[in-house]
Amino acid sequence: MDGIPGKSWEGWEFVSPPETIPIHSKVAAGTGLSATLGGCGLNSARTFRDSMNEFIASGIESDIENEEMAAGRLNLRYYFRQQPVMLAVVLVLVVIAFLFVTALSHAYHAQREALGARWSSRGLVDLKAKNFPAAVTEFRSALLYSRDDYDYQLNLAEALLGLKRAGAGSSYGEASAYLINLWDREPENGLVNLELARITAQQGETTEAIRYYHDAVNAVWPADQENMRRDARFELIDLLLRVNEKAQAQAELIALSENAASDPALRERIAALFDRAQDYDHALAAYRLALRSDEHNESALAGAGHAAFELGRYPLAQHYLRSALALDPNDQASAELLKTTELVLNTDPFREDISTAQRDRLAVEAFTTAGDRLQSCAVPKTQVPGPAGLEPGLNDEWDSIKSRVTEAGLRRDPDLLNVVMDLVFRIERHTSTLCGAPTGKDLALLLIAKSHEGSN
Amino acid sequence: MNSPANSASDVLVVNGQPEPEPEIAVRGLTRTILREEHFFLILSVFIGISSGLAVVCFRFAIDWARLYLLGTGAVLSPIRLILAPTLAGLVIAFLVIHFFPATRGSGVNQTKAALYIFNGHIPFRTAIGKFITAALAIGSGHSLGPEDPSLQIGASLASALGRKMRLSRDRMRLIAPVGAAAGLAAAFNAPISAVLFVIEEVIGRWTAGILGSVVLSAVSSVVVMRWFLGSESLFRIPAVELKRPSELLAYAILGVIGGLASVAFSSGIVALRPRCKALPRWTQYFQPAIAGLLIGIIAVLGAPQVMGAGYEYIDQAMHGQFTWEFLAILAGLKIIATLLSFVSGTPGGMFAPTLFIGAMLGAAVGGVQHTLLPQLTGSPATYALVGMGVLFAGFLRAPMTSVFMVLEVSGNYSIIVPVLVANTFAYLISRGLQPIAIFDVLTRQDGLELPSMEEQREEDVLQVEDAMHPLEDPVLDGEKTVEQALRDAERAKSDHLLVKRSPSGWSLVTKEELRTLAADGKRDTSLGSLLPILYVPFLHPDHPLETALRYVDRYPLVPVISRADFRQLEGVITERDVLERYREFGEG
Repeated sequence: MDGIPGKSWEGWEFVSPPETIPIHSKVAAGTGLSATLGGCGLNSARTFRDSMNEFIASGIESDIENEEMAAGRLNLRYYFRQQPVMLAVVLVLVVIAFLFVTALSHAYHAQREALGARWSSRGLVDLKAKNFPAAVTEFRSALLYSRDDYDYQLNLAEALLGLKRAGAGSSYGEASAYLINLWDREPENGLVNLELARITAQQGETTEAIRYYHDAVNAVWPADQENMRRDARFELIDLLLRVNEKAQAQAELIALSENAASDPALRERIAALFDRAQDYDHALAAYRLALRSDEHNESALAGAGHAAFELGRYPLAQHYLRSALALDPNDQASAELLKTTELVLNTDPFREDISTAQRDRLAVEAFTTAGDRLQSCAVPKTQVPGPAGLEPGLNDEWDSIKSRVTEAGLRRDPDLLNVVMDLVFRIERHTSTLCGAPTGKDLALLLIAKSHEGSN
Repeated sequence: MNSPANSASDVLVVNGQPEPEPEIAVRGLTRTILREEHFFLILSVFIGISSGLAVVCFRFAIDWARLYLLGTGAVLSPIRLILAPTLAGLVIAFLVIHFFPATRGSGVNQTKAALYIFNGHIPFRTAIGKFITAALAIGSGHSLGPEDPSLQIGASLASALGRKMRLSRDRMRLIAPVGAAAGLAAAFNAPISAVLFVIEEVIGRWTAGILGSVVLSAVSSVVVMRWFLGSESLFRIPAVELKRPSELLAYAILGVIGGLASVAFSSGIVALRPRCKALPRWTQYFQPAIAGLLIGIIAVLGAPQVMGAGYEYIDQAMHGQFTWEFLAILAGLKIIATLLSFVSGTPGGMFAPTLFIGAMLGAAVGGVQHTLLPQLTGSPATYALVGMGVLFAGFLRAPMTSVFMVLEVSGNYSIIVPVLVANTFAYLISRGLQPIAIFDVLTRQDGLELPSMEEQREEDVLQVEDAMHPLEDPVLDGEKTVEQALRDAERAKSDHLLVKRSPSGWSLVTKEELRTLAADGKRDTSLGSLLPILYVPFLHPDHPLETALRYVDRYPLVPVISRADFRQLEGVITERDVLERYREFGEG
């Protein structure tokens, strides 16, 4: 071995007589410093000179120890220089250091926890006050001390979303990142799913949004679980209706109405959504349930009137709409609808509560109205393709029976009523596609046509 | 020095007296149980644990320094932003100049110096000094990172332990890298990257003995670090993805930009560091403070993100919280801030700033790409991660580590293709424009000549085929008679002739020996039966040329044979061939 005496593992050399190699030569040989010091800059030279001095000093110390050992004066120290013994000593030192760092770590983590909690509580105050910029900063500060704290992240995401919704935030990116991270940790968290659903819906990712909404509906909520789930479902239905997924919306609404309590406001809200989903049967039923608890609920009356109108149940619609207008005469929409309803009722020759003479008169009027519509709409007088080849055009049909369509003619030929009304309905349908939505009597006739589609 | 441990008698003598019995027993027992390599492995675990504990304390110290110097909030007051790094700079300068001169810089080169110059010796005072000054610097907002100081603290602790354990010189030399790996692994929370970095940049070679110790220490330190600080990575990693293969073009562009940024960064250091060091000595008291002041001004003007290691901002960049314009500005400002801190001699590391710059550049390129082709672009996190690897490859010039670092940090192997593409571009551009790696430049600026790992990797290795020459003389057949062999030998120019033996092997014979055999009446005997059993060693063409040196002094010519057919001679090599080739190689 040509290393430094007293520093070698190999041969327990420290018990043999120390070598007589001069220290300076050993250091130079061992380090190569003589070759490198010359090229050092000021700082480097100081650095290496210091290192060299320590190096030399340790060599001297070893030599002295070796001499003492050789003289047999240091038996105890001899044992302590045995590597296993030293290893045991190091182990003890490491254990002590470990305990020390544990204590330090507790103090460190406790301090960080306290700082995090302090910033978080400030953030919560600002979040409640809708002071979103301050809340964002405070929750960011809280997260400096507890980066993975679930609540801090969720609150920061809420604050960021608040900021964005208030028009001050740049994008959903950061909030979304936090929420996705939280979702990965707790996929069943209701609020996280709901917020993710809102973000994805906002970004036009409907499929993702619907998935998150469903998860939110079935999720675990920390408090007021039933109401939170219901609200999430309401948002889901709203989204479904916005993207015209009416069938899915209706299914969700049915589930919602089954679980809904007897709260009239809730019933009315569900009914309105059924109405938007064009499920008028369920809408009418829901409005009726709402009216059971408060028969003077004007919006429920108006809604029920609208649902009944859409179902073609015009007498019922008239009843509800009249009641609604009695409570709120300024309800223009209901007033318009009532007007149309009454026009339909006054135009419909198939009503059961009218006499034959009245029916014949109404049929003649309908025929005249349809004729006027044909003319005003300028329907071409050509043959039209039909199941049996080219058929006469509506103008020709109208002209062909015009002479027969009188009150007397209808009395003579009871079957003529159906022929007349069939032609009237076809004219109104055709002209509505050709010339746009009808008004007045034409609208009434079209609605009557639609209400009779099922029966025909 | 002789080695008594190797002798069989083992009755050690102390000044001529037999050693006391119990000591012999202890020695015998320990020698039986603990061979040095086993002991070294156990010691590596202790080094890992100690380094882990030290790094944990170092992290605490940095955080506490930040809390008390800069404040507790995410938004910091301008007065503190200016004063903290400035005043800390003054204190650091005083400490470094008067107490801890060896703590300047990052610590990687000091560890290499310990390995190659000081036989593994790093003063323990260096660890203490590095701990205090680097914690103060990073905590006060200087643009430096904790990884390189952790590496040096680990190396210093390991060196101290090694000295106390009286390891052999060879082991002592290796102990600093073992500690360095432990320190770096704990600081990075990435044992694989730490091991690779130490092997790639400090030790420069792979052997089972070194690898075992380095891995053990790295793993031990990471376990300790996670015990106290949790296993979370330095930043939250969102989902990373490569959306389409065409996106690789964007990653190639990122590699080019990263390579250029690396060159700008390292050129700045190379140019400014000697100038700062050449300034009058009294200015060294103020250089870190001036750097701190300038960094504080940058922070007050709107970019506090450049202060400190900046991991929290890497995290934010990954989560798309900055616009691409701001990300690009941050990358540029971080280069300036890190240059200021580093060239002023403030102790601290360059790993974290490198990662910061890379992440910002990557996320900026991702942002531009997203603006231009939103459907084709992956998440900003993917670009930021790749960007980190790019700067690591381009600036630190550790290509292997750069790839594995990204994989280890992201935990996602699907990112490997973009990382490889981008890192390759960055590395090649950096090497092309800045031929000497930054650590080597720094070493040479300090007047040292440590081996350059990059140069070693790139060095041409001479092989036997570069020196061998075809055999002009006939090859004798061992199956033939001496008379036939002599007839063939007479046509040869050389006195030494190769003999092909059966079933395999080669021998040498001289013409004189053949003549003697013939004169002894063995003309009709087969040559093979008369030659000694000891065969001539042979080489293959792909053997390193230095392998030939083992034989050419003992044999006048050594056969070079095919690996596919051991009886097929490719050529021969002589001592002269080898020396000639080395001479030509040396002359370039």
